[in-house]
Amino acid sequence: MHPFVIIKTDGHLSNAVAGFLKKLLTEQIADAVLAAAPTPYSLLPMPTLFTAPDLIEKADPLAPAAPFNSARQAISVLKHDTGKRIALVLRPCEIRALIELAKLKQCSLDNTLLIGIECLGRMENSVYLESASQNPGLTQAFYEDPDLQKHICSSCAICTRFQPVHADISLCLVGMPANECIGLSAETEAGLSVLKQLGFETSEAPARREDQIHRLLDERKASKAALLSENKDKTDSIEKFQRYFADCLNCHNCRVACPVCYCRECVFLTDVFAHDPEVLLRRASKKGMVKLPADTTMFHMTRMAHIAHACVACGHCSSVCPSHIPVADVFIRVAEEIQKLYDYEPGRDLSEAIPLLVFDENTGNEGI
Amino acid sequence: MSDFEPKIIAMVCNWCTYTAADLAGTSRLTYPSNIRIVRLMCTGMIDAKYILKAFLDGADGVFIGGCHPGDCHYINGNLKAVKRITGVGKLLEQFGFDPARLKLQWIGASEGPEFQRHMTEFVAAIQAMGPNPARDCMIL
Amino acid sequence: MKYEKPSIGVYVCHCGMNISPKVDVENVVAFAETLDHVTVARDYKFMCSSPGQEFIIKDIREKGLNRIIVASCSPRMHEQTFRKACEQAGINPHYFQMANIREQISWVTKDSAEATAKARDQVAAAVARAVYHAPLTSREIKVKKSVVVIGGGIAGIQAALTAAEAGYEVHIVEREPSIGGHMAKFDKTFPTLDCAACIMTPKMVEVAQHKNITLHTYSEVDSVEGFVGNFKVCIRHNPRYVDASKCTGCGICTTKCPSKVLSEFDQRLTHRKTVYSPFPQAIPNTPVIDRDHCIYFTKGKCRACKKFCEAGAIDFNQQEEVIEIAAGSIIVATGFKAFDPTPLSQYGYGRYPEVYTSLEFERLNNATGPTAGKLLMKNGKPPEKVAIIHCVGSRDSRYHPYCSRVCCMYSMKFAHLVREKTGAEVWEFYIDIRSPGKLYEEFYNRIQEEGVHMIRGRVAEVTDIPETKKDEGRLTVVAENTLTRRVLRVPVDMVLLGVGLEPADGSDAVGRMLGVQRDADGWFNELHAKLAPVKTAMNGIFLAGCCQGPKDIPDTVAQASAAAGEAVSLLAKGTVRTLAEISYIDPDLCSGCKTCIEVCPYTAISFDESRRVAVVNEALCKGCGSCAAACPSSAAGIRHFTDRQIMEEMEAILL
Ligand SMILES: Cc1cc2nc3c(=O)[nH]c(=O)nc-3n(C[C@H](O)[C@H](O)[C@H](O)COP(=O)(O)OP(=O)(O)OC[C@H]3O[C@@H](n4cnc5c(N)ncnc54)[C@H](O)[C@@H]3O)c2cc1C
Ligand code: SF4
Ligand code: SF4
Ligand code: SF4
Ligand code: SF4
Ligand code: FES
Repeated sequence: MHPFVIIKTDGHLSNAVAGFLKKLLTEQIADAVLAAAPTPYSLLPMPTLFTAPDLIEKADPLAPAAPFNSARQAISVLKHDTGKRIALVLRPCEIRALIELAKLKQCSLDNTLLIGIECLGRMENSVYLESASQNPGLTQAFYEDPDLQKHICSSCAICTRFQPVHADISLCLVGMPANECIGLSAETEAGLSVLKQLGFETSEAPARREDQIHRLLDERKASKAALLSENKDKTDSIEKFQRYFADCLNCHNCRVACPVCYCRECVFLTDVFAHDPEVLLRRASKKGMVKLPADTTMFHMTRMAHIAHACVACGHCSSVCPSHIPVADVFIRVAEEIQKLYDYEPGRDLSEAIPLLVFDENTGNEGI
Repeated sequence: MSDFEPKIIAMVCNWCTYTAADLAGTSRLTYPSNIRIVRLMCTGMIDAKYILKAFLDGADGVFIGGCHPGDCHYINGNLKAVKRITGVGKLLEQFGFDPARLKLQWIGASEGPEFQRHMTEFVAAIQAMGPNPARDCMIL
Repeated sequence: MKYEKPSIGVYVCHCGMNISPKVDVENVVAFAETLDHVTVARDYKFMCSSPGQEFIIKDIREKGLNRIIVASCSPRMHEQTFRKACEQAGINPHYFQMANIREQISWVTKDSAEATAKARDQVAAAVARAVYHAPLTSREIKVKKSVVVIGGGIAGIQAALTAAEAGYEVHIVEREPSIGGHMAKFDKTFPTLDCAACIMTPKMVEVAQHKNITLHTYSEVDSVEGFVGNFKVCIRHNPRYVDASKCTGCGICTTKCPSKVLSEFDQRLTHRKTVYSPFPQAIPNTPVIDRDHCIYFTKGKCRACKKFCEAGAIDFNQQEEVIEIAAGSIIVATGFKAFDPTPLSQYGYGRYPEVYTSLEFERLNNATGPTAGKLLMKNGKPPEKVAIIHCVGSRDSRYHPYCSRVCCMYSMKFAHLVREKTGAEVWEFYIDIRSPGKLYEEFYNRIQEEGVHMIRGRVAEVTDIPETKKDEGRLTVVAENTLTRRVLRVPVDMVLLGVGLEPADGSDAVGRMLGVQRDADGWFNELHAKLAPVKTAMNGIFLAGCCQGPKDIPDTVAQASAAAGEAVSLLAKGTVRTLAEISYIDPDLCSGCKTCIEVCPYTAISFDESRRVAVVNEALCKGCGSCAAACPSSAAGIRHFTDRQIMEEMEAILL
């Protein structure tokens, strides 16, 4: 059991969290805090880097929306060691992505304090904006009202890894009545020492939590199995696959949104796929016609070949697709298979080597 | 499907399997003509893209031939290839491709007869499987 | 990558009757004419001939071609030829591409229409990839003017002397306490029967005295890094416990040492001391202490050698030492090991004292050997009848399928020596006599004239159960004479086994360290069986002697001289060219993930911290493509094997 701290919310969940984050700055535990906050111009919470304690009251990392997977934004401040300690409030899928990016030397986690949210899901941007404009207390309401929680996006609805792995401190919400309290769980030595520094009394987590976590997990597992099997029916042949992606515009939004597609420039935007007219004409002459832009299927399959082992199931690829293609569903389905094959789980452990980097010296002589 | 003539891409490494293919030639060992050899320097340079590309362009089978473990001209390119190729096979399987359409085999430089045997067997296996479904339905 | 607008010439070769008529060459030419960017397509009887090459050169000059496709034999045969022709005509040699329609089409396809269809595809593939060929160049790098020779047998000695005479610094690494290898164990050598020591010892002395040669005996190569012209070879000197700089070679330590063990050099037929030189003419003559058997090392007391050594050379505290040598080229001369006949239990080796291996016989027959050169049985009497069995472990599918090449000849040498020294009757059991070599057949005739019984047939059994009482205590050799179809039972006093040759112990490790491949039997692979018999696929590494395959001394010496010649010719040029077909990393695409650095087997990639991108060291990269396939960003690619070239090649075949 990890040391656990219970913070009273007095009906103001967001304030309680912001208050905790503020202490990180005032007590000089962190030089900066990265947390989601709405901007003055929109309700949509954007990852925001706070250094001023009085401004951090605006942070609302629990707002059930995330316009993108913030791991990408996180690495922009963690690219190299600045000597400053940065606390980051992230969802579990964002932490998983961050770990994968750290393995790929895209950032250094040496001087960070990772605060993970026990995530009950995010809404699609449009859904959130609409609800939030009608209900100024949406964050609070979301955690109090299970009906509202049904409006989370489809990837969150099947997420079984809603508890942060690899965080120093978890913000615990399951089994914690939002109008009363919220939990802080110290997951690492560093996390514990921060809680102690802030003068929190640690205790045990409420017993009901375990139960409710399991119940949620079972629900999610069931929905996941159902969705993936439905997806299998829709994509298990090359013909169906093309039907699935038929409306793809090759806009590359999905890959831009994907936190683990970290290439500076996608190979599909380089010379390699910038075909000469002769090539396109040759392709056309094969069947008398050819659809442009070319290589749509190739693009999606290659993206899978590249990142299926690392897909953190965040669902952002679906969220950004202008053609409303459920991109994430098929990625998550394939990722499951590939991760099983390699016995690999993205974000599980920073020291776990990326599967393609380790090979078996004792590979047999028989081929495959 | 006995009159089905598959087209098979054989990506082979320059040092072992390509040499074995040459040796099969100098020894006049005949095998079905369905094989199209693409010479690469090592199986370790085989990008997932190449395999996907071959299948999406309608190859009925993809054969990858390299040096036996321990014999790779570049020490262990072949070992690095194993996982990548297994992964691509798994991926293709998700979209209805028979994973047996993708085969990795070690054939050493001196194994001309082995090359002949593997080509013959692989062509027969692919013939039994029938055409790559992408051949007809693929819009590129 | 930028490239000139392609204008392609396609040349389809008939190769006499080797490609056409199986491939309909005219049809392929007509097809090639329809392909994008193809300006001319032609056919010719022999493209590789001078007129064939002239065609290409003329077309390049007159028609402004900038990509050349030749559809003919394997690029392993003639890629270089045609690349040179391109260069001669003024275009970059890497604008050339070959389509292999002989080894991989006409020679392996039964049906002519199918062969033609396949040839069309491979030509289309070649054309499609050639469009994206880039004008590649390579760099010149200075070479280190020194050679490391691994193995100090006759091969290593000959190679070292040749290179040293040419003025290059040579390092011989020999793992035994002395150089000399197998030849140092022999008394006489076939076919001339000259005394091995008389021809060997002067060479060994010359090695020791040569100002350009450094000997590293009792040493092994620990690691090899780098590339042609610039190898970094780490040599481990095992501790001799005798300080070579003080030792005068007087041998008093050996005389005084109270501890004895079986002598490896004498094939364990006699003993040596624990502080020892393997044989009297050993080079260097500094003894070594066999730590495993030394009384001081095992029990903590004795030190007799130290007490008597006036030079104060005994040093029980000596440590192993690793030194680093910069070498321009490396010659592998690790030789062979004799087959151990114990598994062939029907020959009774190890069970019957009078069954000897050939190497044991060489020592018995040697003036410095256990019997001072007298041919005596263990009971001290000379044999009256001797059997010699050929092909033990060779030409035998259960052991080695190959012929060991020297056993017939040395067996007949033994027959002669036995007859000469004891007058005993000699029975040789052979499968076939292999005597191809200058004066070899003559030697065979001479042996027959000397009255040796030559029996064609594999020996079934050697037994100590006699047929008749009078042969009790003797051995009986049972064999079928395949010429007369009669089973023979020949009672003899001594049996000599003509054991085969196999690769030296540890050659697998040497191969791995150097990146030189070995064949199915474990011998090192030459680059080309006929045209590059001493080169290896690793640039700058050459082969000499039996490590490449069984051979006799004349062939060993010839090959060793050739290897030295190749090594020297490389060094004499002073520079080597880097490969052109190597990795490049596009700094605009590289995301700095260092994946490539982890997979590169040659540590050829380093990281530029300021730009945060990976950078290829062109001199180290061998173009394996591990980085290219592993780079998630497709930032790393292999020149001449780019994603685009490979995918175009496939698309041309498939679409
Ligand atoms: C019984 C017998 C009789 C023969 N008689 C004749 C004859 O009469 N006439 C004739 O022409 N040929 C004869 N031969 C053949 C002859 O022995 C060979 O041709 C010759 O010895 C080959 O020389 P080499 O230098 O290649 O190998 P070797 O003599 O085996 O020398 C190799 C050397 O390399 C060293 N070495 C091996 N591995 C390493 C390592 N990893 N690191 C450092 N050093 C290493 C070994 O210790 C050895 O000193 C005979 C062979 C046999 C078995
Ligand atoms: S593929 Fe989709 S679900 Fe998977 S990590 Fe990328 S954006 Fe998230
Ligand atoms: S976001 Fe949608 S439309 Fe755009 S490339 Fe991805 S799948 Fe295609
Ligand atoms: S191709 Fe890449 S992995 Fe291979 S040697 Fe060159 S740099 Fe290293
Ligand atoms: S693997 Fe590719 S992206 Fe990563 S460092 Fe190497 S070249 Fe750059
Ligand atoms: S060189 Fe053949 S597999 Fe690497």
